[in-house]
Amino acid sequence: MDIDAIKTTLDSEIQGVDSFERLEEFRVKYLGRKGIITQLTGSIPGLPKEERGSFGQQVNSLKVKVTSLIEDKKKSLAATEKPSDACRVDIGMPGISQELGHVHPITQVMDEICGIFGHLGFSVVEGPEIETEFNNFTGLNIPLDHPSRDAFDTFYLKEPSDAIRSGEGKQLLRSHTSPVQIRVMKSRKPPLAVVVPGRVYRPDAVDASHSCMFHQIEGFMVDTQIRFSDLKGVLEVFAKRVFGQDIKMRFRPHFFPFTEPSAEVDISCIICKGKGCSVCGRKGWLEILGSGMIHPNVFKHVGYDPKKYSGFAFGMGVERIAMLKFGINDIRLFFENDLRFLKQF
Amino acid sequence: MKVTYNWLKDFVDIALSPEALADKLTMAGLEVTSLEEKGGDFVIEIEITSNRPDWLSVIGIAREVAAITGRKLKLPHAGAPVKNARRSPGPGQLSIRIEDKKDCPLYTAKVIEGVNVLPSPAWLQKRLELVGCRSVNAVVDVTNYILFETGHPLHAFDYDKLDGQELFVRRAKNNEKIITLDGVERLLNAGMLVIADRRKAIAIAGVMGGKNTEVTHDTKNVLLEAAVFSPVIVRRMRQALGIQSESSYRFERGVPCASVAEASQKAVLLIQELGKGSYAAAKSSGLFEAGKKPIEAEAAQVNEALGIKIASSTVKRILESLGCNVRIKSKHIFKVTPPLHRQDIVAAVDIIEEIARIIGYERIPTTIPAVTPQIMTAGREDAVSTIKSVLAGLGLNEVITNSLVDSATPAYSRETGANPIEIANPLSQEQAVLRTSLIPGLARCISLNLNQQQEYIAVFEIAKIFSRIQGRAKEELMLGVALSGMKSFWLTKGQVRDKVGFLHLKGVLGVLCERLGIKDWRITSEPDGLLTLLVRKAPVATLAKLETGLLEHAQIKNTDVFVVEIPLEKLLSGGDFTKRFVPLPLYPPIARDISFSIRETTEVDAVLQAIGKNAPLLLKEVRVIDCYAGTQIPSGFKGLTVSCLYRSDERTLTEEEIAPLHTLISETLVKEFDARLR
Repeated sequence: MDIDAIKTTLDSEIQGVDSFERLEEFRVKYLGRKGIITQLTGSIPGLPKEERGSFGQQVNSLKVKVTSLIEDKKKSLAATEKPSDACRVDIGMPGISQELGHVHPITQVMDEICGIFGHLGFSVVEGPEIETEFNNFTGLNIPLDHPSRDAFDTFYLKEPSDAIRSGEGKQLLRSHTSPVQIRVMKSRKPPLAVVVPGRVYRPDAVDASHSCMFHQIEGFMVDTQIRFSDLKGVLEVFAKRVFGQDIKMRFRPHFFPFTEPSAEVDISCIICKGKGCSVCGRKGWLEILGSGMIHPNVFKHVGYDPKKYSGFAFGMGVERIAMLKFGINDIRLFFENDLRFLKQF
Repeated sequence: MKVTYNWLKDFVDIALSPEALADKLTMAGLEVTSLEEKGGDFVIEIEITSNRPDWLSVIGIAREVAAITGRKLKLPHAGAPVKNARRSPGPGQLSIRIEDKKDCPLYTAKVIEGVNVLPSPAWLQKRLELVGCRSVNAVVDVTNYILFETGHPLHAFDYDKLDGQELFVRRAKNNEKIITLDGVERLLNAGMLVIADRRKAIAIAGVMGGKNTEVTHDTKNVLLEAAVFSPVIVRRMRQALGIQSESSYRFERGVPCASVAEASQKAVLLIQELGKGSYAAAKSSGLFEAGKKPIEAEAAQVNEALGIKIASSTVKRILESLGCNVRIKSKHIFKVTPPLHRQDIVAAVDIIEEIARIIGYERIPTTIPAVTPQIMTAGREDAVSTIKSVLAGLGLNEVITNSLVDSATPAYSRETGANPIEIANPLSQEQAVLRTSLIPGLARCISLNLNQQQEYIAVFEIAKIFSRIQGRAKEELMLGVALSGMKSFWLTKGQVRDKVGFLHLKGVLGVLCERLGIKDWRITSEPDGLLTLLVRKAPVATLAKLETGLLEHAQIKNTDVFVVEIPLEKLLSGGDFTKRFVPLPLYPPIARDISFSIRETTEVDAVLQAIGKNAPLLLKEVRVIDCYAGTQIPSGFKGLTVSCLYRSDERTLTEEEIAPLHTLISETLVKEFDARLR
């Protein structure tokens, strides 16, 4: 093969290359495993000894030239490259993926709340939904035949003749998560910091804001020197994390049999920022939870010395928090499980 | 409970606007739920907590206003009414018999003769109207007015309608009847308390008077009752009879004996003022209350509990403003005697609350507790959380359905000997029992969403089921999954639609097991078609297609629903969350495919296992990569392509090494499964 002849055709040949495909063909033709340059190199051993040196140099310079032509062409092709119609994507088409499901908004809110308290050192504990009168009422300083029981109206279980009770009164569906306070304190010693998420039941006629089944999160902390100011501090961290740094909070005296002093906690309305709207009943405030310092009688019931220990407790309705957070106006939506609803969260 | 701004001003000077007052009250624990300007006055509606019956009166709230605004409570002493010197024979012989002092610790009656029962004057009518009470006549209105003002319920009888001059406070007889003032006949029983004359019941104690002794415009002689009844009995009667009255509301929460005398004297004076009449006789039976025992409290205790510094002098001033008697025992120890109307103050912690309430919770600082709590080992919450996110990642939606269900719900699956737990006081028949399975609830979700034209419905719930086994109530946490409809995938070539079936359920369970660290799981099929999920060889759950009964109950038509319900404890006991690193392979694998057809009845699982047995060391993975039917496959057979991955941990394998192994596999397939190689 005549190297010079090859060299002369190279230039015109490379000019005719107008695509990366053609360039690849060009590369294979010269530099491929069975390409021209490989063949030329392969022919060297068959040459007379004296020709080998100069031929080798020529082949090498040809290789250098081809390589540089290819590199130059690559650059010029890249500079002028336009996507061909064939490989152009219609990015307007739906992307290819997989549809994810949704965790229920109530679970999301519970996880968020438990997570916040988790960061503050609280452990998550759960309890049974079927409870005893003692854990649901008596242990929590809610006397029988007292009007305060009305607020905790309760479903009782029908007990067949062979029913076995624990000796702690009638069996019922817990009307709040507070019985878990009794369970935990009876089985452990302070210091304690616990949150309790779970289902609770009350015989409320179902409407836009009532359901006979709903969720609560209970929390409590017990040690030797827990003060009311600690309750305020912990709940402030919680409320600001859930509803934003800009909210205002207020603690209002209230009555719960199991805490003293007791407080209801309001946040400035997240809709109207406290100006007054239909969501907050023109008050500018939204009640989000009940709380207080654990009543000495509760400590006595679980065998703690009320002179030694103090603690706070709080409880909130998860549906209420979720409704405020997401702007949901009807509690029934949570339990209808319409996918059009669930997929919004 | 409603009060008016002007009525409060009768008892305390108020320098605040009604709005500012409402705010102060709210922040002191008397939550104002509405404030309305009406007829030149302001009606303040307050939610009264059940521990403060003393707030169920204008004077009670005025006392609180005085304490929080630092003013003095004005309680003009009414003075006792003057008894008529001329003793008429009738009322003089009035006698009161209380059957049981526990039911009625104190009963007093006063007789006013010759009353002219007129309509009430405008001012009285207006005040009653503002607090939501209908005007009847001057006598009845006075009893109501005094009730609202002092919080002590009163009742007026037409004295001439009584048989005899003996009054009895006694338990009702079983099946005794009385027509109450609202015109309804009430059936009584021995658990109830009545006021009666010799012949008949004339009032349900503390709840409502009887029609038979009603004070009307024709009434001449009035018998005025001021008494105290047991809160427990009044509460039970209110619940049993369904009568809620201003009177029962107060008695239930507790009315002190101490207020009886004052309230009844005030009422007599006002009745006389409005309708003349002469005060003829008074009788009482029972005991007036003894004083309370003092409670000891320390200023330091107050500060420690609240996390604040308050001077002893402030503590003393606040308690005195609330009517407590405060004596300083030693330097920092107080002896506090609460007033008779404060039945709620019984311990030091109640005193602490009073201090906090009156200084205002807003003045208590916020601190973060310095506590190192015990870390409790995570229970199954973490696993539950993992399951939820894995299932959501697989496109399933979490639902929450009611634990209370219709007793007519068809049983889905239930342990033998397990009975559903019934609710003793259900709201309705639809929520009368606790569910024994999650599946009917999931079926209802499927039904609801089918009605919304959803094409593909994949839902799960993690919740408790309940049953009574040998008398013992049991609850168990379950995972329920239900799939239904047509799943569609969008690919480059367009949409691919796939009818949901058991394999979708298997796919979900497979990923779940993998993520829960459950290695030993499989689904077996019994000869009767029952599909069972085994974890560590133990049956854990059944995969099922919903049967007609449940479909009909959930109103699902023409749609298959595939479900599985798994007890979480059993599932998780087969799992292991610990993760161990396995070194990555050093040498490249070689993949070889085999295509063959086998009988339709042969389970692919068994085939894959047989393949695996032939090259235990080098064969690392066998998986189905294609499954087909068509003209090339003889009928009664199914076509499969299986990919075998060979790899050595010691060297790069060669084609020559693999070939005999691969041939051996083909031979096995032919021999064991009558496979036809392709």
